[in-house]
Amino acid sequence: MPPRAALSAQTREVLAALAAQPSQWRHGYDLARETGLKSGTLYPILIRLADRKTVEACWEADQPAGRPRRHLYRLTSQGLAATTAALAVAPTPAVATRPRRAAAPRRLASERS
Amino acid sequence: MERMTRLLAGLLGTTARVLPPARRQWAEAVQAEAGQVPAGWRQLHWLAGGLWLVAREANMARKIVYWLGLGVVAAAAAWAIWLSWRTVPTADPEGVTDRVRVLVGASALLVLPWAGRRSGLFGPVGSGITPRLVRVAGCAAVCGLGVSIVHLDRNAGAGGVLGSGTISWAREIAGLALLGAVAAIPPVIRALKPQADAGAVWGPAGVVALAAFVVLPMQVLTILYVAGILTATSRRSPLPSAALAIGTITGLATGLIIYGVLAIPSDIALTGGIVLIIFLILAAIPFLLATPAGIAAAWLLSGIEDPQELRARRVRQGLLAGATAGAVGGLLITVSAMGLGIMMIIGPLAGIAGGALGGAVAAAHPRKSLPGGSWAAGMFVSSR
Repeated sequence: MPPRAALSAQTREVLAALAAQPSQWRHGYDLARETGLKSGTLYPILIRLADRKTVEACWEADQPAGRPRRHLYRLTSQGLAATTAALAVAPTPAVATRPRRAAAPRRLASERS
Repeated sequence: MERMTRLLAGLLGTTARVLPPARRQWAEAVQAEAGQVPAGWRQLHWLAGGLWLVAREANMARKIVYWLGLGVVAAAAAWAIWLSWRTVPTADPEGVTDRVRVLVGASALLVLPWAGRRSGLFGPVGSGITPRLVRVAGCAAVCGLGVSIVHLDRNAGAGGVLGSGTISWAREIAGLALLGAVAAIPPVIRALKPQADAGAVWGPAGVVALAAFVVLPMQVLTILYVAGILTATSRRSPLPSAALAIGTITGLATGLIIYGVLAIPSDIALTGGIVLIIFLILAAIPFLLATPAGIAAAWLLSGIEDPQELRARRVRQGLLAGATAGAVGGLLITVSAMGLGIMMIIGPLAGIAGGALGGAVAAAHPRKSLPGGSWAAGMFVSSR
């Protein structure tokens, strides 16, 4: 299912980060650093996106030396199309340049109705 | 700090096991990433976020409240058993019979969820706050029934009001054997005749249950109520949460109205005719309240194209909501005034009749679908 029109600001940030390099598998800490989201916010978003088939997830195939295998994420083809459309509707958050966001969840005006 | 981090990591690994397998990997992902997060507060925050994720995905707050509620029910059951044991048989000839009644009720609360969970009839409890709340409150009311029985017989003096006054072991054993037969008949018939239809399976069990009711009315009623509460609140319940809420709220209103009617002071002598009028009023109240409850519950149904099927399902949903309203009202009034134990029978029967009428009225007016919610006893109930 494509993402719904009313996405939270945090979900947009995660989608924007994933859409920046759509073919590349990303891991959670990488996304957390890029978006500034805490693990308790980031992972529920990833879970919902995976439930909607917007994001696909898998474990690293090989066991790397010195650290556990990572859980990896990237947009599905339908997720990429839906993300592009959804992010085009409203301005994409300036992921690379924006200041660290406040920890308190924000909601878009469209979500409050 | 390092010890705290290790503690949180261990806690995350342990609590992740409460998640269903499909969700567990997400908690494991947080744990796997924790090693990459710089040590110190940031790593601690990362792991704390993982614990929050587990709590959120496991619906822990809801589960904790539910299990606390069940703990209260268990304490109430233990209290009822203790009360029945504290009663001295010489002071209360019904004391031993009360113990059996309370023990049968407590056993039903213990055994039926376990037995039903295996076959899927009674559990697991439905998702959402309504089934959990109704299940806990209903089981607590059954415990209250045990306490009421003991109190009533203690105050009634010799002879009691619920039976012959003294224990009859032959009757108790015969009744319990019949109850055992009721539980055994359906699986035995299914094992002997796998092709048997529902009527062939449940018909004989129903006849034996009727015989058990004649022998031990209070015990059978208690078991039936426990079974009804568990069925109505289970995940496979035929009653959606909103219809269950409508039935329950209407039932609470029914119980309160009956209680209010009975509390009106009167000097009228209770002759045969007056008693009959009182019982007619007691039956009319759940019937009259179950009718709008049935309409409200039936109107919740929508999205069924076939008009015949929509009509049949509306009548059925109205009937079930009415039965719930009557049963809740009957149980409530019996707990508060044990001498009106007959309401545990009259209530559901009148509720079924009123609910079916309401369902039929709703079926005749198909344009009134309210998929978002419905009105019940002056309250709006959301179906979401």
